[in-house]
Formats: sequence, C-alpha cells, structure tokens
Amino acid sequence: MTRFAPPRWTLIALLAALTLIAAVASLLFGAVDLSVARLIAAATGSGDEVATIILFDLRLPRTLLALVVGAMLGLAGAGLQGYLRNPLAEPSVLGTSNAAALGAVGAIYFGVAELHPAMLPVLAIGGALLSLALLFALSGRSESPLTLILAGIAVGTLAVAGTSLALNMSPNPFAAMEIMTWLLGSLENRSFQHFWIALPCIAFGSALLLWNARALDALTLGEDAAQAMGVNLRATRLRLLIGTAIGVGGAVAVSGSIGFIGLIVPHLIRPLTDRSPSAILLPSAIGGAALLTIADLGVRIIPTTNELKLGVVTAFLGVPVFLIHLMREKRLW
Amino acid sequence: MTRRASLLAATLLLGGAGALWAATSQPAAKAPAVPERIVSINLCADQLVLALADRRQIAGLTHNAADPQMSGEAMAARGLLLMSDSAEQILAIEPDLIVGMPASRSAALAALPRKTYPLLDLETADRIDQIYASIRSTAHAVGHPARGEALVARMEGELAGLPAPGRGRVAAYYQRRGYMTGTGTLIDELMTRAGLVNLAGKLGKPPLSQLSLEEMVAARPDFLIVESATDDVTDQGSEMLHHPALKDIPRISVPQAWTVCGSPAYTQAARSIAAQIARIDRTAL
Repeated sequence: MTRFAPPRWTLIALLAALTLIAAVASLLFGAVDLSVARLIAAATGSGDEVATIILFDLRLPRTLLALVVGAMLGLAGAGLQGYLRNPLAEPSVLGTSNAAALGAVGAIYFGVAELHPAMLPVLAIGGALLSLALLFALSGRSESPLTLILAGIAVGTLAVAGTSLALNMSPNPFAAMEIMTWLLGSLENRSFQHFWIALPCIAFGSALLLWNARALDALTLGEDAAQAMGVNLRATRLRLLIGTAIGVGGAVAVSGSIGFIGLIVPHLIRPLTDRSPSAILLPSAIGGAALLTIADLGVRIIPTTNELKLGVVTAFLGVPVFLIHLMREKRLW
Repeated sequence: MTRRASLLAATLLLGGAGALWAATSQPAAKAPAVPERIVSINLCADQLVLALADRRQIAGLTHNAADPQMSGEAMAARGLLLMSDSAEQILAIEPDLIVGMPASRSAALAALPRKTYPLLDLETADRIDQIYASIRSTAHAVGHPARGEALVARMEGELAGLPAPGRGRVAAYYQRRGYMTGTGTLIDELMTRAGLVNLAGKLGKPPLSQLSLEEMVAARPDFLIVESATDDVTDQGSEMLHHPALKDIPRISVPQAWTVCGSPAYTQAARSIAAQIARIDRTAL
C-alpha cells in the first residue's frame, strides 16, 4: 500500500509520453516499408502520392482509432471498477462490449446501417445499454461481487451467441470470418469515416464517466455514507450506465469487441496512484490508449499468414503483466 | 442469392484454388449415344450441360444452377429439377449420364456403391483450351458433338474479334478481405487477353495471395478488377474494397458467374473487361 506512487501529474505526463511514442511508432510501421524521410515529406505535404495515401488514408485513421478506442475501454474499466467496487468489472467481462457488437452486427448485416451512417453506432449503443440495464436488473442490490460478474458472464454469453446466430442467419457466407472479427476486434482497414463515427460517442461517454469522479471516491465509504455526503446515487448510476453504453457502443461499432484493456489497465495504473477511484480515471484512459496502440502495432509487425486479431495481442500483452500484478498485490486492489 | 454466390467463392478460397473451374475430359464409360436422363452434380458441369444438351434430356441440376449470381446459364436452368446433394434423388431419377467435376469422386455416388451409372468426369482447368476440351467432351457425351464444335468455333470467333486495350498496363484482381488472384488462373488469362499484366505475377505471388491495402496502394496498379458482388458494402470483407485509399484506382467489375467456372460465359467476361477498359480510357480523356 505504501509503495512509491509518483505525483499525479508526473504519472499523467509519463503515460502521455508513452502514448505519444506508441502513436508515432504506429504511423511509422506498416505492411509497406516507408522511410522516415518519405513519411515526413508526406506529412508536410510535399511527399509522393503513395506515401501520402498510406500515411493519411490508412495509417493515421487507424492510429487515431486505436488511441480513442483504447482510451474509452481503459476509462470504462476504471469507472465500472470504481462504481461497482469490484476489481473484475469492465466492459468485456460484464458483456457490454459483446452486446454492442451484437447491435453493430444487426445494423450491418441486415442493411439497417445503409439507411443512415448513424444507425451503426446507434444500434451498438442500444445493445450496450440493453446489456447494462439487464445486468443491473439481474444482479440487483446483491452484496456479493460475484453475482454481478456471473450476471455479466451470462449477458456476455447471450450476446456472443446472438452475434453468431445473427451472422449465420444473415445472407452472408463469410459469416465465420466476420464473427471472429467482431468477437476479437480489429482495426484493420479502417478509414476516417469510422473515426468520425466513434469520436463523438467516445467524447460524450468519457465526459459522463469523468463527471463521476468525486461520487466514486465518496462511494468507497459505502452508499449510505456517499448519500450523506451529498452524492446523488441515481444520477451517478445513470451517468455511469449511459456514459459506458455510448462510449463503448461507439468504440465497438468500429473496432469489434476488444477484451482485457478495461480489465487490465486500471490494475496496472492503481499501484502508481493513491488508489482512490477518481485518481485512476484519467491515467487509465491514457494507459488504455497506449496499450491498444501498442497492441495494434503488434498486429502489424508480427508476421502471420492471416491477419492477427487485436484481441489476441491485447491478451498476450496484457494478461502476463496482469497476472504478475495479481500475484504481487494479493488481496489489495 | 448473394449468399450462395459467395459461398462458392468461399469454397474456392478455402481450397486455395483461386477462382476457376473448367474441364478436360475422359470418355464416358459406355454412355448411350443420346442419353435421356442427364444429371449434373457440379455447378460448372450444369452450365456445360445446359449449353449443349436438349432441355428434355436434362433430368437434374445442382441447386445453384438457377442462381444468376453464380451460374452463367441461370436463365436456362429455370423450371428444371434442381437437386440437393442427395443420393436418394439420383436413385429416383435413375440417370443414364452423370456429369461431375469429377463425377467419380462424388460423395452422393459413393453412397450408392452397388449402382453403376455412366459417368463423365470433367476436370478443373485454367486455360481456354481446357474449356474447349470440356465443351467437346460434354457435347460428345450428351450426343450432340456438332453443337460442341459450333460453340467452340463461335467462342473462338468472338475472342478473335476482341480488342486488347490494356496496352501492358497492370491490373489486380482484388477480392474480399484483400485476396488477390494470381497467375495460372482463368482470371490471369482473361487479363492477358485484354492486354493487361497481372499484378500478382509482377509481384511473384502464388495463385491466391493476400495483399494489404497498404501494399496495394504502394503497388499502384492501373486497374482493380473486382467481383460485381462486392460493388456494395454488405460486410467487413467487402467494406475493405471501398476504402478511400483505393478511390483513385479505376475499377473493372465482373460478375462472378462469368469467371468462376470454365464455361461458355468466358467470352462474356473477356468482352466485358475489354469494354470497361475502353470506357475508362474514354472518360479519362
């Protein structure tokens, strides 16, 4: 508990620096080897056509998406863990990501997304919202942290089954491949169109979650104490629900369901802070952005015959670190 | 419709075969001069039988035969019996000729070890002369050899009259999820015929390879040839082909039904590619 924790702004600055390095690296590396000089020329507007298209149409939107989606997942994990006072809470464990993926799948494969571009995130958000509502209804006011996790697993399993079923019933013979992309996540071949779909949702969702910071700290003393301190529990819960649903829904709509980031990042960040829920919110967002950007870089650098899925790399990167921490921290979280 | 059309492509992708079936022949075992109950158990064989046999001779086709997304002879297949892959149906028809690719390795026939039907084994092929050979052997087996010769002569005539407007420019046959068709395939031959150079050959890729968007942008082909089924975004696999990074590369769109089998529709594909190159060149002026 009394391990060294750097001052808050030092931590944030360090994480931001790490994220910046990851983002620059993710612009430098890709399927095609481009020299730094060529990329700089392209960035300053004096480059050749190929380098310019690769940098601005392919790598830049992908990097930006990795940053915002990672930030959203990290923040959602920190917010949910704080509010529910449960170290296992996060969008993919609670089934939110998979439910959002189900919504997105419904929008794309049944032609709803063609009606209006906004339909894709709207349905993903709807899926996420529905799953969270179902989750809170299922776990109710149960005191045991296990009830919530079990309810989350049930909701998530249902959503995964629904996604597979929807794809199998849709008029698409490539369903198996598409199911894998949605369940393991991918930022392959994304364009600015996807970025503009995700960004407003993520900005709005993040704002709602960050708004909860003070209430989360008060909640560590229990609901009654928090209420006594003037925290509006209903409003806090509503902000958490809607913020998570809109943010995660918008992210999943373009990236598929990427696991582990929301679970792991808050645990990695927590020992570096004073452990109050509010202190880990912003650092978790920045850490999530860094982790997802690095994972996406791994997808591109690791040579495989078929494209590697993002969820695979986040698992390999994050889980060992997470386990080491878990062993060291024992019951502390 | 699209579902089944692409299923075929999926099967081909899984087989790593690229996108082509055609045929060479093996004389049918003691086939009667004019069979009266012909059954085809392969989509590509369907098209040859439809083109060469009399309608009243045809007793059964595969369930995809009437699908315009998949078969170049879909209209002609309307109203004929479309079978599922079941041995029972074959038993009931009691065919006097079964055409397959190859027929002798059919799972449905393996389920009927005690029955022997006259078989015509067609083989997959990737060159026009192999298409001609399978047309001739099918025509012979269905009892109309003259029709086969006439069809081959007509195709040769049509192909001889086609221009080659490609002038050595580079094209890539780009499929869902970035799969690219290579050399030694019907697609490759169609490109060469139109005067195009296959990007896959230039890059030394195998008959089926995967090329990322970045690599495609860096390779700068003069044309992209796509399946017309991917003209609309219906899922993530087809969405990739509509990425803004590809928007400046002129596109040639060819129905899969014309290219997936070595069939008489080959000439339609060749004509369409030549015409689309000419149209792109006209608008570029």
